[in-house]
Amino acid sequence: MVKIRIGVYVCHCGSNIGGVVDSKAVAEYAQTLKDVVVARDNKYTCSDRGQEEIKQDVKEHKLNRVVIASCSPNLHERTFRRTVADAGLNPYLFQMVNIREQVSWVHAGDKDAATEKAKDLVRMGVSKVRLLEPLLERRVTVEKSVLVIGGGIAGIEAALQLSSLGVKSHLVERTPSIGGRMAQLDKTFPTTDCSICILAPKMVEVGASPNITLHTYTDVEAIEGYVGNFNVTLRKKARHVNMDRCIGCGSCAEVCPVKVPSEFDMGMGNRKAAYVPFPQAVPLKYTIDEANCLYFKTGKCQLCVKACPTDAIEHDTIDVLEDLRVGAIIVATGFDPYTPKVRDYFGYREFANVMTAMEFERMVNASGPTKGHIVRPSDGKTPRRIAFIQCVGSRNKKIGNQYCSNVCCMYTMKNAQIIKEHEPDTDVSVYYIDIRAHGKGFEEYYHRLRERYQIEYIRGRPAKIWQDPQTLNLKVRAEETLLNQITDREFDLIVLSVGLVPAAGTDRIAGMLNLSKSNDGFLQEAHPKLRPVETTTEGVYICGCAQAPKDIPSTVAQARAAAAAAAAPILRGEFVIEPLVARVDEEACVGCGLCVEVCPYKAPRLVKGPVGQKAEIVEVLCRGCGVCVSACPHHAIKAEQFSDEQLESEMMAALKAEVR
Amino acid sequence: MSGETEETFIGGQKTLVVEEKVVLDKEYDPEFVAEIVKYGGRDVKTCHQCGNCTGVCPYSLKTLYKTRNIIKMCQLGLKSLVLQTPWLCATCYRCYEHCPEDINAAEVMIALRHIAVRDGFIPDFIQRVTRNVRQYGQSVAPAREVEILRTQLELGPLSYAKPRYGKTINEVQYIMRAMGYDKLVHVLDEKPKEKAAGAAADQAAEGEVR
Repeated sequence: MVKIRIGVYVCHCGSNIGGVVDSKAVAEYAQTLKDVVVARDNKYTCSDRGQEEIKQDVKEHKLNRVVIASCSPNLHERTFRRTVADAGLNPYLFQMVNIREQVSWVHAGDKDAATEKAKDLVRMGVSKVRLLEPLLERRVTVEKSVLVIGGGIAGIEAALQLSSLGVKSHLVERTPSIGGRMAQLDKTFPTTDCSICILAPKMVEVGASPNITLHTYTDVEAIEGYVGNFNVTLRKKARHVNMDRCIGCGSCAEVCPVKVPSEFDMGMGNRKAAYVPFPQAVPLKYTIDEANCLYFKTGKCQLCVKACPTDAIEHDTIDVLEDLRVGAIIVATGFDPYTPKVRDYFGYREFANVMTAMEFERMVNASGPTKGHIVRPSDGKTPRRIAFIQCVGSRNKKIGNQYCSNVCCMYTMKNAQIIKEHEPDTDVSVYYIDIRAHGKGFEEYYHRLRERYQIEYIRGRPAKIWQDPQTLNLKVRAEETLLNQITDREFDLIVLSVGLVPAAGTDRIAGMLNLSKSNDGFLQEAHPKLRPVETTTEGVYICGCAQAPKDIPSTVAQARAAAAAAAAPILRGEFVIEPLVARVDEEACVGCGLCVEVCPYKAPRLVKGPVGQKAEIVEVLCRGCGVCVSACPHHAIKAEQFSDEQLESEMMAALKAEVR
Repeated sequence: MSGETEETFIGGQKTLVVEEKVVLDKEYDPEFVAEIVKYGGRDVKTCHQCGNCTGVCPYSLKTLYKTRNIIKMCQLGLKSLVLQTPWLCATCYRCYEHCPEDINAAEVMIALRHIAVRDGFIPDFIQRVTRNVRQYGQSVAPAREVEILRTQLELGPLSYAKPRYGKTINEVQYIMRAMGYDKLVHVLDEKPKEKAAGAAADQAAEGEVR
């Protein structure tokens, strides 16, 4: 057996460590430990010079193990693994000891004790590094296509970006058309571009792209597998219209006798049971809504069948399951507008002339239910005094949404401008708590709004809204906090600037993919700053409002980032798996399945073998957390680099005891 | 000459001029929030001053005090300003029901009362009410006119005057002494104790309080 020769490097990290821990003394102490050939302290171990020194020492002193006492492995473990590998050693014959986050930063008050603790930790590291074994990184081949869940602007942009990189993608959307929430908006801030006008070309491009397979009116039924090899089951809901034959002429909708509230128009207008959600829909194919169609209710009608010039109507089709294999997944499930509750005390659904901003958005849209005229729902008259109420469903602990929805301040400004342009005589007031105009050109927009459009800003959250029984006008009581005065004012129409909540299906998708969520219910990225589109599940990326409320420019930027991140393993053709995983000793395993139950990543599975059922770890799914190791009643699972012997030797070193 | 100056001084509006009205550093008490927490209040620092509490407060409508202002004074620790204010609160808890930051302003008011009393900011009416409770077992003092009217109408005396209530009132007084409440609000017994037993109990109670 080769004699173990260890090199120990103790970092000063400028004064981060050196200001508290006597790094020199720690290095001198390390020199006295068993098998340590060389021990040094350096100012910045992670610098080129520090790394170069390690490489030289490995060659000169024939080191075969390296211990670095510096910061958290979260920061530089990868750096040092590479250094060790460059020096010609197996990168896993290296142990990192954290003397910054766990020593100098937390024990700044007691320098001597901190130095002693650093020595203890280094001794533990040296003890463990002796028992480390060389590990090999495994590579998996990657299926060369991506699944994009959600056909809003985030999903569309991600799919288009993948397409431009030459990567094939499957874009799945649960409604009959792609477009999502952006298609519902009238204008966009701060440029007041027509929303559908800038979105429609992208939708058409998706429809025409040979690299994008579009699955509309489709749910994701199940996802299994791991990075590079996801098995996806899609449920293609029965459209009852033959997609190849339908020419989108609309004859079926013309004759259809059933009228139901349109989801696209937020229930403000009606649609037929045979419908396209909006004129620019992609694909422009009609859908027959099973829940409302007369034929499915009574077995009669079939007027659409007679009207259709291409015989495209097929009432007897059923849902179809389709299997896909993809290498990566982008989740872009988006948001739902918040529905005001009774406990918001703003009289939504109680008073006719209180509406949400999304409903207002459809109302002012030229293709909306009122053809773009601003009217009061109660009597159809043009309102002369309109109030917006900000932070409805946001920044409110009482209803559970503590977060700021990011876009409401700005879309309210845009809505106010639209009102002023449609009806210049209208008085517009905005009840706000704080105005957050943080983006490029936003503050200027806020200024222009007050200057040119004379929008009145009232700082205070309305306390009470009540209705005049005769006129159905609304009275608002609020403290005008900057005046220190309670005011009662009358308005013809009140628009609640509702916040954003995660879309209804987010939880289901998160469950399938093992994604974690932050407290606000949106999907959690792997690192808030440095890994903003990755998730803790390898090969799964997030973008758009599924991650957090955000405006269209940020969504587009994030969608492209997600596409680039997802394309990386696909264009490389393989994915490297860290070998720090759990391994099953087949002889000891009795196939009880406890590991399968406890694993948060679905990594272990039971396989039938010649000698009965045994557990097996799917390495790509394993994150090396060690839950199965501790759960296994027969000690049949071992976590690489965290084996019982290795941990025990560390423990013994901590207690200054000899390892048995 | 000086009279003329006064008339010309800001257009004769001298009455509107007050002494320099600035709040100085020394009036801020950074420890005040912790003190409120100690007396049962919560979370005052998280208030973002939306004013919803003021709008729903029945007293803010009728008086110069605004719930939001009181919370702001608490955040800044402007003790001398805030300790005058909490007595109007009816503890109806509407502020709490509506607060988007989940701050319980009513409980903050209660905490402020504890602090005010401890620091000696006790309004007259509190002392009066305490005196009434001690004497009659109820917070409102009986009016002499009512007594006269009742006699004329041949109605009996009010319940507090009935002998069997004397025992109850004694008990109330005992509780007040035991809790040190009478001392706290500076409403001490004027007359010396008649019964030895009462005095002994009083001593025992005081011993307990200490």
